[in-house]
Amino acid sequence: MSDAAAVPVGRADSQVEPQTDYDERLLLAQRTDAEINEAVLKPMLRTGKGFWALVAVLSGIIVWGLYAWSYLIQWGLGTTGKNRPVYWTLFITTFVFWIGISHAGTMISAVLRLLKADWRRPITRGAEAMTAFALMVAGLYPLIHLGRVWKAYWMIPYPNNRFMWPNFQSPLMWDLVAITTYLVSSTLYLYLALIPDLAMARDHTRGWRHRLYRVFALGWRGTEAEWHKLMRALAIFSVAIIPIFLSVHSIVSWDFAVTIQPRWHSTIFAPYFVMGAVYSGLSALAAILIIVRRGMRLQEFLRSEHFDALGKLIMVAGMGWTYFWFAGFIVEWYGNEPVVRALISQEVSGRLAPLFYLQMSANLIPIVLLALRKVRTTPAFLLATVLLVNVGMYTERLLIVIGSLQRNDIPFNWGTYRPTWVEISIVAMTFAGFALLYTLFSRIVPYVPVWEIKEGRLRYTMRRIGRLLVPTAADID
Amino acid sequence: MVRDVNTLIETKGDLPRWAMVVDLDRCTGCQACVVACHAENNVPVAGETSAAYGRWLHWIIVQRYWEGQYPNVKARFNPVMCQQCTEAPCEPVCPVFATYHNPEGLNAQIYNRCIGTRFCGNACPYKARTFNWFTPEFPEPLTEQLNPDVTVRTRGIMEKCTFCVQRIRRVEMATAAEGRRPTDGEIQPACVQTCPPSALVFGDLHDPDSRVSQLARSRRSFRLLAELGTDPAVVYLKGGETNV
Amino acid sequence: MSDTIRLIALLSDATQTAGAIDELHALGVADSKIVVMSGVPYPERALGRHTEWLTLPWIVVAGAIGGFVFGLFLAVISPHLYRLDIGGHPPAAFAPAAVIVFVFTMMATIVSTFLGVLWEMDFPRFGRAPYHNLVTDGNLAVLIEIPADLQAKSRAIIEAHHGRHIGEPEWISL
Repeated sequence: MSDAAAVPVGRADSQVEPQTDYDERLLLAQRTDAEINEAVLKPMLRTGKGFWALVAVLSGIIVWGLYAWSYLIQWGLGTTGKNRPVYWTLFITTFVFWIGISHAGTMISAVLRLLKADWRRPITRGAEAMTAFALMVAGLYPLIHLGRVWKAYWMIPYPNNRFMWPNFQSPLMWDLVAITTYLVSSTLYLYLALIPDLAMARDHTRGWRHRLYRVFALGWRGTEAEWHKLMRALAIFSVAIIPIFLSVHSIVSWDFAVTIQPRWHSTIFAPYFVMGAVYSGLSALAAILIIVRRGMRLQEFLRSEHFDALGKLIMVAGMGWTYFWFAGFIVEWYGNEPVVRALISQEVSGRLAPLFYLQMSANLIPIVLLALRKVRTTPAFLLATVLLVNVGMYTERLLIVIGSLQRNDIPFNWGTYRPTWVEISIVAMTFAGFALLYTLFSRIVPYVPVWEIKEGRLRYTMRRIGRLLVPTAADID
Repeated sequence: MVRDVNTLIETKGDLPRWAMVVDLDRCTGCQACVVACHAENNVPVAGETSAAYGRWLHWIIVQRYWEGQYPNVKARFNPVMCQQCTEAPCEPVCPVFATYHNPEGLNAQIYNRCIGTRFCGNACPYKARTFNWFTPEFPEPLTEQLNPDVTVRTRGIMEKCTFCVQRIRRVEMATAAEGRRPTDGEIQPACVQTCPPSALVFGDLHDPDSRVSQLARSRRSFRLLAELGTDPAVVYLKGGETNV
Repeated sequence: MSDTIRLIALLSDATQTAGAIDELHALGVADSKIVVMSGVPYPERALGRHTEWLTLPWIVVAGAIGGFVFGLFLAVISPHLYRLDIGGHPPAAFAPAAVIVFVFTMMATIVSTFLGVLWEMDFPRFGRAPYHNLVTDGNLAVLIEIPADLQAKSRAIIEAHHGRHIGEPEWISL
């Protein structure tokens, strides 16, 4: 049944009934719809000790982070490591990182839907959830890094008796609007595609879950008219959300690029950041899928074909990132402007050299590794590779935000930076917050989009071409 | 050379364009201007460790560079304050308009509007802006010395040199009450007033006879980072080898 | 005047369903009286029924235009109402205004798509409705509203196409 010489994959975990061949195609599996429903609902309903332990640990980190944040508000931003000229440090770095992570979801659910790539089917919901939660977490940072967060509402345009209005020429305002738009869009997209599965869950559960799904399924019955309208709305969403996703990270990049800070004032920033976001986001998605697949025993639905395709896409994104990085670097290096030279030398041979070489190796080695099928289809290898990508991309943001601010036009104003426990605690809090949201999501909502898989199964048959038996996808919409 | 105020900024009627001239050939690096600014504008003291980490709060700072090797070492002094750029890169980036261009050409900082994003601090190429990292403390009896004309800022607010706008306003109001315009030299920011060798001169660039205008036309004049196009209102003079 | 009754039946295949529906059409049952419920979206016209025109695209366009106008107001007009000068830039310029206008247009497009589709589907619609719990287990439920005298013939058609669980629909509260 496989379309290539199957690489035997060792599975050390205990088998879930029935036997699922990891290398077989999901959309051709011999399972009834009822069995698929059951297979999706079971891990959702089961919450073992491991789950509660995880929730407890994450909640602990979040509580500690909230304490650090209240400490920050109480005592001021001096409790962080920021100084002059490094006014933006870990908070903005992690902000950019999370926005980057959020781009993977749209890539998978919208772009691949339009391209009719069927391997997206079991992962769209997990990807969209990642987008929504990454944006929620990222949206905290513009508040956290404010000097006077209690006045943050002044960024909202409301008529007031002081005749004060926010400045729409400021990239921070563009950030506010764009991130809100993207968050609203991805949440609505996630929800809309979820409705038929909530109806399925409503029909198969009892108790508080049944009541919860009843409310959010909005009375869905699955009539032809309902499907027709839903499919049309999803098509419009898929098209509309792509410009949004391209614009959000471009706008975030313009936070840096519109200043005349050397190395920031670069026109390549917008596509460079978008490409970096796709690269790091898809890598984070792969990591999350591998972990969830293991933790929720979704081996039936997340098979080697999915990770194979995802790995190839990550590799292509990585090559794109490398191209944009190089396009920016060669122009800076060649121009030989004194401040830019100082910035490059601090990275290549100065105090920041360890971080720089970490960034380059952690971003480039995975591209090579992902060319190997063995890496792509072995969960453990793939997890290590994509985590390396995330480390590299986080370091890249560190160097762009913090590294560049350390040098500027007047050498008297050169500076340095050291993080403090407040910053690290708050960053850890957001990572834990994301993980907690995701964990709870996986237990409250069917993680795998069941109706999309069933729809995909409608399309797939086996066809004979000469001596070959090939899986064939029908070109129905 | 200094060019006229950019026509994008509407100067109503014949409003003055305030500017400062810093004569580097006269500056001795005594830092009296720094102290005077602290006193006049309620600028807190950051302390030695904070200052070493780059968190000093001086609105005007005397940048000191060492040139050469012993025994031919020379110290160069460069007093730098907010350059009050005509095309300030810090102004468009503030999301709440806490900094804007007022009709007299000053880059105004509205303390109680600032929410502390520090975007302006990143955008300023002179890094002339400082930030209140902590709530400033004025140990007794320094509280007796606070200037009632200037707000005392709390933590989370960006601040910078304003050309002592409170002094400008005070003189303008007083002379308006007398029915005349301020004469050249009547308005003096704290640093200008204090400078012992009179290295700092302040005045109206729109008045061609003011001392500032005459000095700005000198062949010794240059401006900091002029190639960036920020069109600053602070003109530096440097010509001879008097600064040894 | 004969009573109208409702019948529901479960079929397991698109071809069977389409065949049954064709024969029901031949029997004189109007298309608007037939409802097919499934757990999977079938392509349009796969079940032999006409598709309705949607007002959704118009709602989306209207929303997008509304967002565009609002963004234009915020970015271009409001800086002149609350006038503050910025060094080196006019109060409203093309590039920053374009960003704001674009984002608000897209926001309005998305929100109007979502609200539009809910409005067009008449959601949320709680309360009792004829439904069958096994729909999501891979069955197609055909619900027909017919005059009582056609009941026997309809049953026969459905049974001929391997329909199961034929009977009065259960009014399940959704």
